[in-house]
Amino acid sequence: MGMDRREFIKSCSLVAVMGLLFGCRKSAVLGDIASQLSVPELKRFEDEVKLAMSQAKKSLDLVKVPTPGALKIPGASTLNRFGMAIDLDACDGCGKCILACNLENNVPLVPEEDAARGRFMHWVDMRGGAPFMCAHCGNAPCERVCPTGAANHTPDGLSAMMYKRCTGSRFCGANCPVQARKFNFNDAQKLGLARQFNREVPLRDKGVMEKCSLCLHRLQNDRLEFKTSLTVGTAAEEWRGRGVKTACAEACPKNAIVFGNWLDDKSPLVQLTKNRVLYAPCELAALDPSVVFMRGRR
Amino acid sequence: MTPLANSLSCLIALGCASFLWRKGSSPYRNGAFLAGFLVLFGVFCYFGGDINDPTLEHYPFRMLALCLCLSTTSLPLYRRRYLVLAQSLWCWIELFGGIALYYRGIDIAWTRIAALLCMTLCSTFLSKISKEMEFCLMVFWLAVWVFF
Amino acid sequence: MFRYLMILGLTLFLPGLYALGYSVYQGPSAWMVDSQTFWGTPISLFVFWIGLAHAGTLLSAIFLALDIKLDRRTALIAELSTLVSLVFAGIFPLMHLGVIDNFYMVAPFLDARGNFANVRSPLVWDFCCIAVYALLSLLFFGVHLKSREIPALDKYRKPLAWLLFPLVLWVHTIVSLDFAATFVPQWRGAFFPVYFIAGAILSGLALVNLLICAEGYRVRLLERLQLICTWILCAIWIWDLILKGYFCTSAFIFAGVLPQLRMVSVIREHRLGRIFFSVSILVGLFLERYYLVSPTAASATFGRIDLGLVAFSVGGFMLLFFGIRRYLNRNMEGAGSYFGEVDGTDLAEAEQEEFEKENFTGVRGIQKLRKGFYMQPWSSEEYRILRFPLLVGFAAAVLFSVWVWSQSVFANVDLSIANVIPLLYPIVAVVTAFTLCVRAYFVEKSFDMTRREKTLCVVLLVLAAACLGTFFAGGSSEKSAKVLDSQPIGVDTPVSQNHARLVWNARCATCHGTDGRFNEKFVREFYPVPQKLDLQRLDSLGADSLVKVILNGRNNMNAYAGRLTPEEALGLVNYMRTLAEMLSENAAPESVKEGEK
Repeated sequence: MGMDRREFIKSCSLVAVMGLLFGCRKSAVLGDIASQLSVPELKRFEDEVKLAMSQAKKSLDLVKVPTPGALKIPGASTLNRFGMAIDLDACDGCGKCILACNLENNVPLVPEEDAARGRFMHWVDMRGGAPFMCAHCGNAPCERVCPTGAANHTPDGLSAMMYKRCTGSRFCGANCPVQARKFNFNDAQKLGLARQFNREVPLRDKGVMEKCSLCLHRLQNDRLEFKTSLTVGTAAEEWRGRGVKTACAEACPKNAIVFGNWLDDKSPLVQLTKNRVLYAPCELAALDPSVVFMRGRR
Repeated sequence: MTPLANSLSCLIALGCASFLWRKGSSPYRNGAFLAGFLVLFGVFCYFGGDINDPTLEHYPFRMLALCLCLSTTSLPLYRRRYLVLAQSLWCWIELFGGIALYYRGIDIAWTRIAALLCMTLCSTFLSKISKEMEFCLMVFWLAVWVFF
Repeated sequence: MFRYLMILGLTLFLPGLYALGYSVYQGPSAWMVDSQTFWGTPISLFVFWIGLAHAGTLLSAIFLALDIKLDRRTALIAELSTLVSLVFAGIFPLMHLGVIDNFYMVAPFLDARGNFANVRSPLVWDFCCIAVYALLSLLFFGVHLKSREIPALDKYRKPLAWLLFPLVLWVHTIVSLDFAATFVPQWRGAFFPVYFIAGAILSGLALVNLLICAEGYRVRLLERLQLICTWILCAIWIWDLILKGYFCTSAFIFAGVLPQLRMVSVIREHRLGRIFFSVSILVGLFLERYYLVSPTAASATFGRIDLGLVAFSVGGFMLLFFGIRRYLNRNMEGAGSYFGEVDGTDLAEAEQEEFEKENFTGVRGIQKLRKGFYMQPWSSEEYRILRFPLLVGFAAAVLFSVWVWSQSVFANVDLSIANVIPLLYPIVAVVTAFTLCVRAYFVEKSFDMTRREKTLCVVLLVLAAACLGTFFAGGSSEKSAKVLDSQPIGVDTPVSQNHARLVWNARCATCHGTDGRFNEKFVREFYPVPQKLDLQRLDSLGADSLVKVILNGRNNMNAYAGRLTPEEALGLVNYMRTLAEMLSENAAPESVKEGEK
């Protein structure tokens, strides 16, 4: 291919210019200013929870489901599948779980116009007078359509989010039948709407999806403590996540939220749901949810 | 959809196929027929099956594809090409409709797709298409429709 | 004429550009967002423009493949409109992302950190299909332009057309699966592939009819097809109505009812009337996509930015399309023979009449029958040209599937053949086209490129390589370092060495490795590689600041305050030193041995 030097240099420099343009698309200046802005007061978080509860959906269609069993995805653990059951007979819809969740997971506030539209970031919603969050479906539709694999399933049955990998296509949000996923429309840190109450949970950037993680950090913490306490050489007992509670379960004054391991007979979850009828939102019933509702005795 | 309604539907498609591509017919006529058939098939599905059944979503389109396949046997020209194209269309509707349903938890009818794909490939080897061969093809399609 | 259209385009484009810039800056909350799907105007516009992008290949390639005659001028206009529409169809899915920098993660190939896109997602299929479609459309247009000068190239057009024929349908099928594969009740529809293809064909036809109106002539065949397509689409809408109980009335009126006025000959014969049909169809189809993408959105929220985005794409299209047309008219020798400026409408009319006579009375068919027109199976010329490249393409697709299945990412995922099928044809097509190009370059002796074209080729190749390289390297997830607080820790009693080892193995080993070396695989997958913990570095930092790093976190290292006590942290620092010492002792004898040799 005959091509003289001038042209070669010309084309190369063109490419270099393109590369330069591509390289300057982001500057780190804004982030530094943002971190010095004031953080919102606790009162604002409490008010927002009240506002969200006043706008809550009143109805929730439930259908009966069997007790969740082991996950059917390859590589899933046969020992652990974490989940929750919400006791509709005990719950009085006080909303303390929402605030507890927000503080535990550093859920940011939203600007007023978003609040007016009912677009909150809360991982726990009120629907039909009871807390409602991601059900961590065993056959999760959101994970199937995530283009980058940011939404994925842990072997322990949590539907997890890898924030750094999220490209914000919002496909998972569109495919969630119950809209449990929340999108970071605003740069909460820059707008002074985020506050890191809990240092174990990172603040999320603008443009990524988030949702209930079943307090993944607490589980992870317990697992590592368990590993640490094991002495080397003895036949190790397997970790079953006993004694861990999510923030919402801890905060509930009526003990209506039960967290535990569906595959562990000693787990409070299994024991308390033994004689109860389990329900799930009708849209999710076929998707093998881990978070279910219970009502009435069997 | 009940097996009876299912077999009835392929008879309807067969009946409709005879109206298409008549000699000297204008494209308007054929286009209007195609659109009309589609509406007819839709109405048939509405009355013949449970409208909430997800597999019914592309049923009228499958009927239309079958109808097109059947009608290609009476073409005067380029018969092999349009035969292959019509079967590909049917395959296409089955495959991508199946993939859409697969994401909502319904299995894909692989046997039907495989049978159609095989037939599409085989029919590219056809040389002159005789009356007997036409008949065999039609029987094959109807069998795929009813049994797979 | 073109100049006025360009000015009109510019007046729409400039305010639109502002809207685009604002949307990119502000993110998805800038435009109207549906409460259920979080999508909105950009995705409606994407579906709309990708539909329009079917005009060129549909008319040019499919008509060519099926032996339906279309004059070169119309074919070229259609192909050019495809390319320009694709530019805008490509912009919208990119700009609608929440984190635009991460877009490359959607491409299904390995990056340096061992990540792989989730090939189960329809978005990944979308990305591949559209990229391949754009590439092949460009090639098709280029071959068409060049084949005037180099007649040898003409015989490659038909094979390319057969390659593009399924691809063009494939692209829109995949776009429809974005919707049909979800649980949104309004998008319930296994028939969406056919529905979207019908919609795309209609909008493509309407666009081409509009553009040739601007050129000052008409092609009756396309107008007829346009009318017939409206009927088919109406039938599909009726099925949608039967299935779900609601449909978009405004779309039905604009794209279904109003175009029927073509049956009135007075309106049909007037140029303004023809422009009206096309515009009405385009408006109707845009409304339909808008309604489809945002079924639960209140139309009251359709604001300035949404209008701006629409204006951006429409104005940009006009500017770019007519700009290229003007450029080609001026700067290309014999532009008249390409675009037929000189002999205007007469030629088209005559050609058209002849064509109609032939096609619709079946004269041509009978003649061909009489001549004993018959071809042995698998013997056509285009098949002989395509045979080998297709084989290469299929081999590449099979290899790709095997490679995907072996990715570690999919060890914990139920990957079925149905998840990968949609990716295969684009791969077949792109590899086949590439092999075809190589074949053409070596087989055709008369093949000669001008200097400018060669430069263009080199630039394109280098750009492609640069893109691949950037994708492979991946973006940096590094953030600016946090400021360390300067308070002393006030701990001097570390936990026991044994305790520290257990803590290290439980908490730190995932990234830093049990032996103090990195757990490369894990680290590369999730974070940039951390600092090396060698003896020199540990000494230079000092125990105090290392404890602070452990407790407060730094860069991608998490903060462990609350999870670890300061005593444990100090114990860890001591343990780190022991590990580093062991490593350097292990390394030292080797260097001694080398010295001995």
